[in-house]
Amino acid sequence: MRYEVRVAGRDLRVDLSSDARFLVDGRVVNADVDEIIRGWQWLVRVDGRSHEVTVLTRDPLRLAIDGVEVEASAADERSLAASRGTRPQGAGRHEVRAPMPGLLKAVHVREGDAVERDAALVTLEAMKMENELRAPAAGRVVKIAARAGSKVEGGAVLVVLAEIP
Amino acid sequence: MTTAPLTKVLIANRGEIALRIIRACRDLGMRAVAVYSDADREALHVRYADEAYPIGPAAPRESYLAVEKLVAVATRAGCDAVHPGYGFLSENADFADAVARAGLVFVGPPASVQRLLGEKTRARRLAREAGVPVAEGTIDPLRGLDDARAAAAKIGYPVMLKAAGGGGGKGMRAVRSEGELEAAWRMASGEAASAFGTPALFLERLVAHARHVEMQFIADAHGHVVWLGERDCSVQRRHQKLIEETPGPSVDPALRARLGDAAVKIARAAGYRSAGTAEFLVAEDGSFSFLEVNTRLQVEHPVTELATGLDLVALQLRVAAGDPLPFTQAEVRPRGAAIELRVTAEDARAGFVPASGVVGALRLPAGPGVRVDHALFEGMRVPTEYDPLLAKIVVWGADRAEALSRARRAVRETIVAGLPTSIPFHAHALADPDFASGRYDTGYVAAHWPPPDAAELEESAIHAGALVAVLATRPRRATASVDGRAASPWARAGGEEALR
Repeated sequence: MRYEVRVAGRDLRVDLSSDARFLVDGRVVNADVDEIIRGWQWLVRVDGRSHEVTVLTRDPLRLAIDGVEVEASAADERSLAASRGTRPQGAGRHEVRAPMPGLLKAVHVREGDAVERDAALVTLEAMKMENELRAPAAGRVVKIAARAGSKVEGGAVLVVLAEIP
Repeated sequence: MTTAPLTKVLIANRGEIALRIIRACRDLGMRAVAVYSDADREALHVRYADEAYPIGPAAPRESYLAVEKLVAVATRAGCDAVHPGYGFLSENADFADAVARAGLVFVGPPASVQRLLGEKTRARRLAREAGVPVAEGTIDPLRGLDDARAAAAKIGYPVMLKAAGGGGGKGMRAVRSEGELEAAWRMASGEAASAFGTPALFLERLVAHARHVEMQFIADAHGHVVWLGERDCSVQRRHQKLIEETPGPSVDPALRARLGDAAVKIARAAGYRSAGTAEFLVAEDGSFSFLEVNTRLQVEHPVTELATGLDLVALQLRVAAGDPLPFTQAEVRPRGAAIELRVTAEDARAGFVPASGVVGALRLPAGPGVRVDHALFEGMRVPTEYDPLLAKIVVWGADRAEALSRARRAVRETIVAGLPTSIPFHAHALADPDFASGRYDTGYVAAHWPPPDAAELEESAIHAGALVAVLATRPRRATASVDGRAASPWARAGGEEALR
């Protein structure tokens, strides 16, 4: 199986063969792997060098490689091909979600409003702090999905923006 | 004045500070009583304490802020004292009163002192009358937005809008121009009302390139007040501290003595008792102005403990029992350098937005000069109802360079997997030349974070990361290895490939 992988800003093509060989950009890499904490931590020996790799978060994927935190992603070719076949739904559409459960203190925009990038959309109170969630891009507010004063779950969509073409 | 020694202390708090206080109780031979909300049933403070009692739902107002419940538990459990920790009720004079009315010792300054210093405009007046310089600003709380507009125009922008009811970075907003004032007023007064029960605000002139330097002091019931050294707390986001250190890189012995003297003057004028901290802004020219007194133990107290060798919580408990301070000012000799890094449940890369999750894997640093105060365990669900502080990594070195090396080593060893944290910020700051040289002020985080470049790694590390990215992303089969022995995940992944 072939994967397109990104680690710390580097793009790599990784092949994982059925005889447990590991190829990076077509070249065989001698790797010896132990899973230390199931699902979280691996010890990888590559050409005599030992690297401890820990999954810090999965979505987005972040790894600690020897204590250095980096962003990473991996997608296998089959699912990449599948996603390329269809035009990604809702291009130019941004869902602003609650990063964690909290109390929606205020909504600063109305449906139909045109907003600049970084404009304050809502104020969410969580962990005793008020946080303003801002527009990820300039656009029009097409939906406000929660009412001021309501409790919201982590991940809940609060505002939907459509980029103005 | 002689008081019987304390024998049993209720800890009206949770998390790492509850553990910290339990440890001091143990060292002094006192029994420690914990309380816990529904969200903290499995928490470490519950497991470490001698006794633990439930106090209600996760919402702070119904548990850790419920004065009557806490006093009732303390009485029922036969406690003779209550330690409030920091946050929650630690600066709530009504709680101190309620504890005293129940015949218990409150481990902290008396309610009257808390009222005097807790209302920030009164504290500013007291400091000014004691001969301590205060930042230019309004003397009384503002009456409304129009009042604020007039006061800000008189002081001149930029100004700082602050809650009169309390500190800790809540209800505080920098205002650069009149156009920003209304929105800042709305946010700050809302935050102040929910954090302190009063929306009252006041204004101060915003000092550019200032450092936030605080002076720790402790006072007994016999009139002794001693200062224990400063902490530079300039590295902040949203007016909340991320890194604290002593000695302050900008503080020379003369300035230290002046800050110490100012803190002692304020403490004496207020009739202070217990541990406290006077906060100052130090301008580029070395002039300073008083900000506020935190009438409680502070999060960053271990920094001072490592430099002085003192146990501030044990001292609080002894002073609360009526003991005189066991040392004089001349006997306090801070040594070396200490740095604290606050590991918080916040996504540093996403602008420090609060995060939650379950701790999947945990490794805390150790070795020479490293102390970690925390209440984490693998499998712990980090509650969203409380402060995002997860752990405090505190390092000591013979000088600042050694402390920095040890801090870098400690951060590299630390793993808190399962949720985003502030650790990448700490790794970056410790490697940054401006922080390493001590050239930083309260604008540090805004100017240095996020970093423009990704971390540089050697080729084999990139390959190791790529391999784990694949192993961690691909769906896992429920089946065990075919031949029954524990196959390496690599061979297992290869085997699964063959099955596809």
